[in-house]
Amino acid sequence: MTILPNRGPNRRLILAGALAATAAPIRAFAAPAGRRRFGVTLHPYYSYVANIVGDAAEVVPVIPAGFNPHAYEPRPEDIQRIGGLDAMVLNGIGHDDFAGRMIAASAKPSLPVVEANADVPLLPAAGTAARAAGKVVNPHSFLSITNSVLQVSTIARELGRLDPDNAAAYAANARAYSRRLRQLRADALAKLATAGTATLRVATIHGAYDYLLREFGLEVSAVVEPAHGIEPSPAQLAETIATMRKLDVQVIFSELNFPSAYVETIRRETGIRLYAFSHISHGDYAPDLFEREMARNLDTLVLAMAEASP
Amino acid sequence: MHHQIVRRAGAERETLWVLLAAGAILVSATLAVGLRAAPDAEAPLAAHLIDSRTGLTAAEQGLYADLKAAGEEIAALRTAEGRAPTPAELATEALPPFAADPSAAARGGHAWILAETGHGIAYVGISAAPELAGSLVLRLDGHGAEIWLKRAAEAPPAPPEDAALSAAGWKRIVSTFTAGVTR
Repeated sequence: MTILPNRGPNRRLILAGALAATAAPIRAFAAPAGRRRFGVTLHPYYSYVANIVGDAAEVVPVIPAGFNPHAYEPRPEDIQRIGGLDAMVLNGIGHDDFAGRMIAASAKPSLPVVEANADVPLLPAAGTAARAAGKVVNPHSFLSITNSVLQVSTIARELGRLDPDNAAAYAANARAYSRRLRQLRADALAKLATAGTATLRVATIHGAYDYLLREFGLEVSAVVEPAHGIEPSPAQLAETIATMRKLDVQVIFSELNFPSAYVETIRRETGIRLYAFSHISHGDYAPDLFEREMARNLDTLVLAMAEASP
Repeated sequence: MHHQIVRRAGAERETLWVLLAAGAILVSATLAVGLRAAPDAEAPLAAHLIDSRTGLTAAEQGLYADLKAAGEEIAALRTAEGRAPTPAELATEALPPFAADPSAAARGGHAWILAETGHGIAYVGISAAPELAGSLVLRLDGHGAEIWLKRAAEAPPAPPEDAALSAAGWKRIVSTFTAGVTR
C-alpha cells in the first residue's frame, strides 16, 4: 500500500510551521465537485500525473516554476496551496523531502500522499552520500524511462484508489503514456544501432543519471559533486580530475539548466568531451515537458556514444 | 599553641571538580549515544535472496528494473489477449529487456524463452555474458512478478519453482523502499 497518511508534525519542522504561522490565515480551497486536485512538487511528476488524469482531475504544482529544487525553502504561499488538495504525489526519496514538512504545516496535515517510488528498485546515492551503507538513495529515479514507467503505474493505481470513479481511465491513460515513453527509448536505441558503440566510460557533474545510464548498460565512473547539489572544493575538484584521467573517462555529462563555472575548468584540464543533460526541473510545468526533455537527453546520450566510437 | 594548616596556593580542588564534572558529562553522553544509537543494519538476507541495490551489477540493476516494468505490461497483454505473449512479440512491442537492441547486447545479450510454471508463466533469459549480467527468470503467477538471478549461462530447472531454483543456486532479487533521509 503506497497511500500513506502524512506523518504528524515533526519538531524539526519549526521553520515551515513558523512560515505558515506568519502567513495570511490559511483558507482551504474548495475543489470543484467531482474533480479532484492532486499536488506535485517536481516537473516530471507534473507530466506524469497530467498524462494519467487527463481532464478528470487537476494537477497542482505546489512549488512555482523557476525554483531550483536543490535549493528550495518552503514559502507560506506554497504551504497555503496544499489546503486545496485531495492528495500529493511525492518523489519521496530525497528530492522533495520538504513536502512532508509543508503538509504538516498546512491546513490539511493528514493529506494522503502517494509514494511514487514505492515500486522502483532504488540505487545508492552518488558521492559521499553513498558511504552510508546504501541507506541514502539516489533520488533521480525520474530521469529514466523504465523507472518513470514504474512510477506512472504506481501513481495511476494509487490515484485510482482515491478516485475510484476514474480508476479505469487513469489505468488506461497510464498504459498509453508508458507506451509513448518506451517508444522514446526505442527510437534512441535505434539511432544507436546505426551509430556504433554501446560502451562508454562516463563521468557526471551531478549524480543524477545513474538510472538513465543503466538502461543503456552504462555505469558512471566518477561524479564531480561530493554530495547532492553541493559544489566541490578546489581540492575535491583536483582529486576528481585526477580520477577521471586515471579511469580514462571518455565523456562528461553536465547540467543543462544549472551551469557551474568549474565545469569549464574540468573540460580544459582533462580535454574530455562535455555534453549537457536536462535535469527536467526547469521552465514551466507542462504535460509534455517530460517527453520533450527526455527525448533531448536520449538524443544527447546517443550523440555522445556515437562520437566516442572509434 | 595554635596550629593551622594553610593549604598552599593552587587549584587542585577546582581542577578535581572540573575533571569530575567533565567525566560525568562524558559518561552520560556515552550512555545517551549508546542507548539512542540507530539500529544496526537490517538482518542479513536469506541465502536464496539478493538485494537489488547492493548485490547486482549495473547491467543487472537495469535489467531488473526493466523486468519489473515488463511484468505489468505482460499482465495487461495477457488480460487483453487471453494468452501469454511470446518474447518475440514483446520484442516487436519494443518492450525492454526483450527488444533486440544495443542495450540488450551491452547488458548480457540474453536469449529469452517462454516457460510454463506450476501456477503461471515464466520468461527465462539465458545470459551470453554472465560477467556482465547473470541469467534471469521473470515469473508471473497472478500475484505479481518475481525475478530470479544466477550468474551463469545456464537454464533454470523446469518448472522454475522456488525450491528447485534455490537448490540450483538461483537467487530471488528483492528491493526495498527507502524514504529520503531528511524527511
